[in-house]
Parts: sequence; structure tokens; C-alpha cells
Amino acid sequence: MAAQSPLGIDLDHYKWGFREPERYVFKARPGLDAEVVEQISYMKGEPEWMRAFRLHAYEHWTRRPLPTWGPDLSTINFDEIYYYLQPVEKQSRTWEDLPAEIKRTYDRLGIPEAERKFLAGVGAQYESQVVYHNLKEEWEKLGVIFLDTDTAVQKYPDLVREYFGTVVPPEDNKFAALNSAVWSGGSFIYVPEGVRVDIPLQAYFRINAERMGQFERTLIICEPGSYVHYVEGCTAPIYTTDSLHSAVVEIIVKEGARCRYTTIQNWSPNVYNLVTKRAVAYRDATMEWVDGNIGSKVTAKYPSVYMLEPGAKAEILSVAYAGRGQHQDPGGKVIHAAPYTQSSVVSKSIAKDGGRAGYRGLVKVYSGAKGSRCAVRCDALILDEHSRSDTYPYMEIDEEDVQITHEATVSKVSDEQLFYLMARGIKADEAMGMIVRGFIEPITKELPLEYAVELNRLIVLEMEGSVG
Amino acid sequence: MQALALSAAAVEAVGERSGEPDWMRERRREAWRLYEALPLPDPASEAWRRTDISGLRLEELRVPLNGAGPEHEKPEAAPPQVLAAALGAAEDRAGLLVQRDGQTMQAGLEEEAAAQGVLFLDLDQAASKAPELVRQHFLSLIRPDELKLRALHAALRRGGTFLYVPPGVEVTRPLVSVSWVDTPGTLLAPHTLLVAGEGSRVTLVDLFASAGMDAQTVVSGAVELVVGDGAQVRYVAFQDWGTNVWEFGLIRARLGRDATLASLVAGFGGSLVKTDVESKLQGRGAQSEMLGLYFASDRQHYDYHTLQEHLAAHTSSDLLYKGAVKDRGRTVFAGLIRVHPGAQKTNAFQSNRNLLLNAGAKSDSIPKLEIMANDLRCTHGSATSRLNDEHLFYLMSRGLRRQQAVQMVVDGFFAEVLDRIPLEQLRQRVQEEIAGKIAESSQG
Repeated sequence: MAAQSPLGIDLDHYKWGFREPERYVFKARPGLDAEVVEQISYMKGEPEWMRAFRLHAYEHWTRRPLPTWGPDLSTINFDEIYYYLQPVEKQSRTWEDLPAEIKRTYDRLGIPEAERKFLAGVGAQYESQVVYHNLKEEWEKLGVIFLDTDTAVQKYPDLVREYFGTVVPPEDNKFAALNSAVWSGGSFIYVPEGVRVDIPLQAYFRINAERMGQFERTLIICEPGSYVHYVEGCTAPIYTTDSLHSAVVEIIVKEGARCRYTTIQNWSPNVYNLVTKRAVAYRDATMEWVDGNIGSKVTAKYPSVYMLEPGAKAEILSVAYAGRGQHQDPGGKVIHAAPYTQSSVVSKSIAKDGGRAGYRGLVKVYSGAKGSRCAVRCDALILDEHSRSDTYPYMEIDEEDVQITHEATVSKVSDEQLFYLMARGIKADEAMGMIVRGFIEPITKELPLEYAVELNRLIVLEMEGSVG
Repeated sequence: MQALALSAAAVEAVGERSGEPDWMRERRREAWRLYEALPLPDPASEAWRRTDISGLRLEELRVPLNGAGPEHEKPEAAPPQVLAAALGAAEDRAGLLVQRDGQTMQAGLEEEAAAQGVLFLDLDQAASKAPELVRQHFLSLIRPDELKLRALHAALRRGGTFLYVPPGVEVTRPLVSVSWVDTPGTLLAPHTLLVAGEGSRVTLVDLFASAGMDAQTVVSGAVELVVGDGAQVRYVAFQDWGTNVWEFGLIRARLGRDATLASLVAGFGGSLVKTDVESKLQGRGAQSEMLGLYFASDRQHYDYHTLQEHLAAHTSSDLLYKGAVKDRGRTVFAGLIRVHPGAQKTNAFQSNRNLLLNAGAKSDSIPKLEIMANDLRCTHGSATSRLNDEHLFYLMSRGLRRQQAVQMVVDGFFAEVLDRIPLEQLRQRVQEEIAGKIAESSQG
């Protein structure tokens, strides 16, 4: 079963592991120093403040140690990674204008088809640079901006400067510092007051070259009362050496606005995926992270929501699947910094064939955030005896008037459930697939239909041969 | 009273007075070398970042040395009032051991148990009476190199409790040990070693208490519970230190095949208490029940780290820790269930509940799982909430004063733990402590 996937989700084995020959107009030398950072800024023709921002971040990166907790990152060789590669000379506005191999890549990933079918706009990033961007005219007329972040720095410098680095400062962590120093591409979205973009905007990220680092930077600003749903997908070819993906995503959700951010991450199994995603939510605003982690070698990603004003809401839905050689360490953080804020976290993880999957999260309630409520639920399925599941939920409660609950279970697929289904004539494989689909249902039901179907198919295919 | 600062000389002096064999002295010296070599815990490390020990003044501590020669030969007068209160928790007992500042003042064991070969005595005394058992098990579960404070314990341990129950022997009434700190500004390093032979049954209640201290007083305790195949052990650690007492303790158990351990850790006193409670389920079919009950008020800081370590198949563990926090108290619960590869058919449960009684109280809860087997059932839960206004309103509308109503709600909160402890006097003692805490006026 090798269905064309509009999302780039692997339906058989890692189908998107193909590679095109590298063609580029500029490729920085491997390794990182202040000169490479300057070079990146120079190539982009950036304003002085951005150059200074990068250099400051680079300086912090050199001093900041690797995190001592979480997955093992000691095998990343920062000196061998290429930090910037510019594949084409300018961004294309129409599909036909793209260079043949990039077009071929995205045709194989099904992007143009997806765009025709259900997207309000799409951006595609190939190596470090966004190569294609399109936003439907009707949204453009309403003042919605959907650009790659480099172009946004040029076209809307004041808007970008006002928010850039305010949610995730470069000093936040080592990888945020790295991204701040060498970022390239990513999406910039601005939704004006009261505008509801009711079909999703999508971005697609692709690493093609070997030992390539991808450091996109996404900034989303939702003005009061607006709504947007942003979807991103990621793939890379399989090389024998590792690549690094280290993005920073900053989201500002103002009064009464709602933002949903969906990620279906399917990097090839040689990519370190170390991403900082954070949103701030103001009065009565809602932020939702839907995070699916299927690919990569190591993922460490904890999308967070800072609820800064009364009535803010946060929702985090996380699915992780870890197969052979994979360590998925996703999670989420909800910070209750104002009264009457609400959050909910649901995590579902599946480990198989020696993989390691889990949940790492934080619930923080500051003193004075009275009437806050938070519920965290983490469930894990371990499909064989070689695999591992970890749950690390941190709850720091400094306020009395709260309701905080956390629940987690780890189990195997119960024999009774399998027996029940098989007694009704369903084959073992299929029964297993049905049970696992049921297990992740709380997440898939939140996805747009096409994505839910994809995720289900993927999970079922990954399950093949798991009974026996 | 003679007293020495923490030093190699103090290690020798303490060892000298204990009358211990050479191998024990050598281990003290080794531990002292480790103590000098090891740094204090890194305040940024996961185990210590929620408990600030920058106020710990090890250099100001003294080790009390009472007289010369083995201390257990110098029993003294009846325990004073604070001790009587502690003992109220277990009047009906098969044996009693009372130590003040690590020195044995009273020791006794009912004849029936003694006749069956049960040993219940001061650890120093045990080292000469049952050298083989002590040598085999003392510091077999806890290593001095784990932590600077463990090394300190092993180097300067004074007195301690030794309980041995031979295979097949049942002691029906509880054995009670009281460790009482009398001298402010001192270090006490009490050690409990329990060895339960195959198929034996016993209950040990460890009571720790002191009056309020006018200088920082540090307790670095260690409890080793060796639970043999098929043995059934109940262990209670009841802590009621006075103010200014800082405690760093470790309770570690190893369970053999089909062994059962039920532990209760109750905490009410002290200024800063950090206790690790660990069960290693090493034999197939072993079961561990771990209960915790604590109430932090004023500015008390309690930090409990628990570990349910499943090393064999068909093992089960069930943990329930409940804490109330009042005034500007702070509690930390960090529990880990670790299921090792091959520990199939494990059943592990972990639950932490926190009740915040007023604004300013804080509670952190970190229930963690590390699961490396697949055929098991593992569940944990945590909840933190305030007093339920509706419950209070209901009770007060029936004529109860607010304090009475709060008392009833808190009693109800702890009942889930208390109902699982079949020691009536201990339950009453716990309830008195809770009532006392609620009646305390806020000083925060």
C-alpha cells in the first residue's frame, strides 16, 4: 500500500528518504564561528539589529553547556554540521518556476496537490531557504500576512522586531541560542484583529543535503479575536551521518484569539529534532498545540503555553511513536501566571522494537493564579519487551485555590481486547491496529480529517507484524 | 559533656566509645575519607534543586561524646516528657529500645520473642553479640559513596537499632525504637538495620523526636530493611523533630521472593526534612506497600523522593503519599517507578495527593515512570487542591466552628492512609499531631 500522501507521511517504510543532488548558490563551510554567523546575516542583507541579535546569541551558545537531562545529545558534532545553505537564487511564487529537482521533491511529497485541496496557503522550505510561498488572495485582502520569516524581516521590519525573540529569548536554552544565531526561513504569520482564517495554513520543511542543519524560525501573531490554524510537516533523506533540526517557534495569542499549531513530524531516523516552541496567551485567548512525533532519531520538544492573563486556555495534544533506534522525548509545559486559567495536556506514546517514547512536562501555577485548573493525562503502550516508556511530569503548585490532576498509565495491549476482536473474525494484525487507533483517538479526532486518516494509516502500518 | 567538631578525630572517638570491631572502624575511616572527598549535592541537580541547603552549617556541628567506653553499658534515667509523648504511639509492644543522642538508655524485649532467637538491640551491641549478621548486612543496601551526607552518616553513626527475626519466627506485637535528640547544635546519625529471615513476620516502629532546638541540629539517618524470602515486614518511621532540626534520611528495602513490606513514613516536625524511601523488589512475587503522610506548617520544608524498583517478574508495589501544607510550608514529592527489563507481570501504582490549606503554601509533585518491560500494568496519579469550600460550608452550616470543620475535612483527607495502618495507637498519635497542626496559629 503506497498511497500518495499529501502530508509527506511515510506510508510504507521511510518513503521520503530519497535524495536529490545538492545544488546551491551558497553553502557555508561546516562548523560554526562568529564569521559564519556574520556571513549568514550578510548573505541575507539583514538590518543591523538582526545581525547584532545573531552575534549575541552565538556568543551565548558558545558559553551555554548542553542540557544534562533528557535524551543523550553528546553525539552531536557541531563542527561537522553545515549551518546555512541557499539552494536557489530567489523564491518562487508559482509552482512551475521552481528548479526541477526541488519541484520533483515536493511533487513526490504531494505538496501541490495538498495545496489545491485544502490549504489557504503553503510555504515550502528546502534546506535553509524557503523556496515557495503562496497565500490565497482572499486572505491577503483581509490583511493576513503569511511569509517566510526572512522576507518578513525585509518587508515588515517593525512588526517583526516588535515580537521577535520576545517569547523565546536566545538565552532560553542552548538550542534556542543556536537557532537565534543561524536561523533561516520559517514562517511569519500575522492575523489582523477579528480575522478568522478558517482553513489551515501549511508549511513544509525538507532537509536534502547531508550533515545539514535546519534552523527555521517561526513567528505567529494573532491579534485580538482572530483565529488561525497552522500546520507543519517535515521530512529528510536518509544519510549515514546525522542532521540537526533545531527550530524556534514563537506565538503571541492576544485577547480572545485562538491559535492552533499542528505538527506532523516525520524526519528520517538520522535527524536530531531539538525544538523550542512557546506561546503566550492573553485574556481569554486559547492556544492549542497538536504535536505528532513519528520520525527522527531523537526528539526533544516541549511546546509550552504561558497563560498571562485571566481566562487564558492552553491545550496540548501529543502523540509519539518510537521504533527501532528512536528516542522520542516530547511533552509540554503549561504555565499558569494569571487567575482563572485552564489547561489540559493529553499525551499518548507508543514504543516498539526497542524504541523509547514518553512524556516530559511541567505544570507551573504561580502564587495568585487562583481558580486555575489543569488536567494532565499520559498514556503509554509498550508493544514488546525491548522497548521503554518514560513519564516525567513536574507539577509546581504555589497557589492554594487550584485543581491540578495528573494521571498516567502504562500498559500493553490487553489479551482480552485482542481476543474479543479476533473472536469476531478480525485478523490479529488488524485487531492490533484497531486497538492502537483507539488508543490515539483522542488526538486524531482533533486533526483535520486528511491528517487523521494519514496518522491512522501510518500507525497501522508501523504496527504490522507486531502480533505474533 | 564532651563534644568534637566533625573531624577524623571525632570519627576515632565515636568508634572508640562504641566498642565496635576493627572492620567497622575501618569502614568509618573509609567513609570519612569519602566525606572529605565528596562535594555537597549540586543545588542544580534534579534531586536537590527543590530543597535549598545553602543554610546548612556542617562546620558548626558537634558530635557529642558521653563518657568513655561502650555507651550501652550506661543506661540512664527514664525518658523525659517529649519521649513519653513519642511513646504514646506504641504502648502495646513486644520490645522497646530508647536512645538519647545515640546512646542507649533503655532496652527490652519480651521473653517469648527472645527465646525464639529474635534480637532487638543497639547496633553497637549487636556488632559484638551477632557479628556475622551485622557484618553481612550492615551497609549492604546503602553505600557511603552515594552522597556526601551518606558518607557522613557512615563515618559518624552513633548507636542505632538492630532487629533480627530468625526464619519462620513471628513477632505479633510491634517492636518500638525511639531515637531522641537532646543536644542542640549536634549531628546525630542513627542507623536502623532490620533483617527478617525467610518466612518471618515482624513490625518495627521507629520513632524520631526532639524538643525545639536553639541551634541548627542535623540528623543524617539511614534505614536498611532486608526482607527475606516470604517474610512479612511492617515498618513505620514516625518523625516529630523540634524546630531547627534538619534531617537527611534514606530508607531502603530489599525484598526477596514473595516477601511483603508495608512501610509508612509520617512527618510532622523539623525545619527541613529530606527523606528518600526506596523499595527494591528483587525476588519474584515480592510486594511493597508504601504509605506516606505528612503535614508541613509554619515554614517547614519536606522533600520526599520515593523509588519503586521492580527487578523481578510478578512483583507489585502500591504507593500512596498524602501531604497537607499550611502557612508558608512547602512539600515536594518526587516518586519514580522503575521497571527493569524482564520484570514482566509487574503491577505498580503510585499516587500523590496534596492539600493546600491557605495561600502561601506550596507543593511540588513529580510522579515519574521509567518502564522497560511491556507486559505490566503501571498507573500513577497526582492531584493538588485546596480545602473544598462546599465541604466546609456544609459542616459549618451544621453548627461546627471553622476550625472543627477544617479538622474534619483534613482528617477525611488523611483517612485513606490511616485506614491502611493496623496500629491503633499509632493512628491516634497521628490524629493528635494533625489536630495540633490545625490548631497552631499561623506564624507565617
